[in-house]
Amino acid sequence: MSRISAKSYQRRTMIAMTIYVALLLLVWPLARGADNSWLKLACALAPVVPVLYVIALMARKVLQSDELEQRTHLIGLGVATAVVSVFSLIGGFLAAAKVLPPDAAPVILLWVFPVLVVAYSGVRGWVARRYGGDSCGDENSPLALRLLLPAALIGAVAIYAEFVKHDDYLAGIATGMAAGLVVVTLFFAWRRWAGARRARG
Amino acid sequence: MNNRLRELRDKQAWSQGDLAEHLDVSRQTVNAIETGKYDPSLPLAFRIARLFRQPIESIFTPDKE
Repeated sequence: MSRISAKSYQRRTMIAMTIYVALLLLVWPLARGADNSWLKLACALAPVVPVLYVIALMARKVLQSDELEQRTHLIGLGVATAVVSVFSLIGGFLAAAKVLPPDAAPVILLWVFPVLVVAYSGVRGWVARRYGGDSCGDENSPLALRLLLPAALIGAVAIYAEFVKHDDYLAGIATGMAAGLVVVTLFFAWRRWAGARRARG
Repeated sequence: MNNRLRELRDKQAWSQGDLAEHLDVSRQTVNAIETGKYDPSLPLAFRIARLFRQPIESIFTPDKE
């Protein structure tokens, strides 16, 4: 099996996660209204497919890593697991004690994977920088650019929801997510620009 | 642990990327070893010694206590 390049890994992950968001926002809501039980099942589980692909991609990347990279992966996964466990435990106790609304438990479960991935990426990036590298590899594209594609695609979902589906709720969620990503993109672009300016003296 | 990896690499006129390719590791790993931020495992240290045809103890030396 050939070693997957950082650029290829990023591109594939980004495409898969964009498909995940699109399926979550556009296909998953159809499950509640579907009459046919197979169609209901297919719509409900559609977002799982790109997630399984990303997990397989992550496993391949970790297996092909060298010893230092595996160390950073291990620390990232360890901390992320601890973070997710603590939040799940807190959420579970609050839901069981009915401090949270009764339908909060499934929502908490839906957040497990995204929180795990975000915590893992953040900690791994931080550990890699401590060893003098960056989070993904030599040929890494700027973070701002990597965030711009999901922001644009989620923005497209917002436009679709507002003007084609006339679904204010979905349009609101997608607009909020896209706007949040644009703010984060601008922050990282500014940080990169300021760093380059400092380096030039 | 101290090491002479950078000196040996310079003698060969290799970039960090070249050395990383010879050792089958990432450039970050070579950089981390050279800057003393990461101590390689024994198998990797042996690969480095074999690549430069030097005894392992002439490349890696322990910190003075």
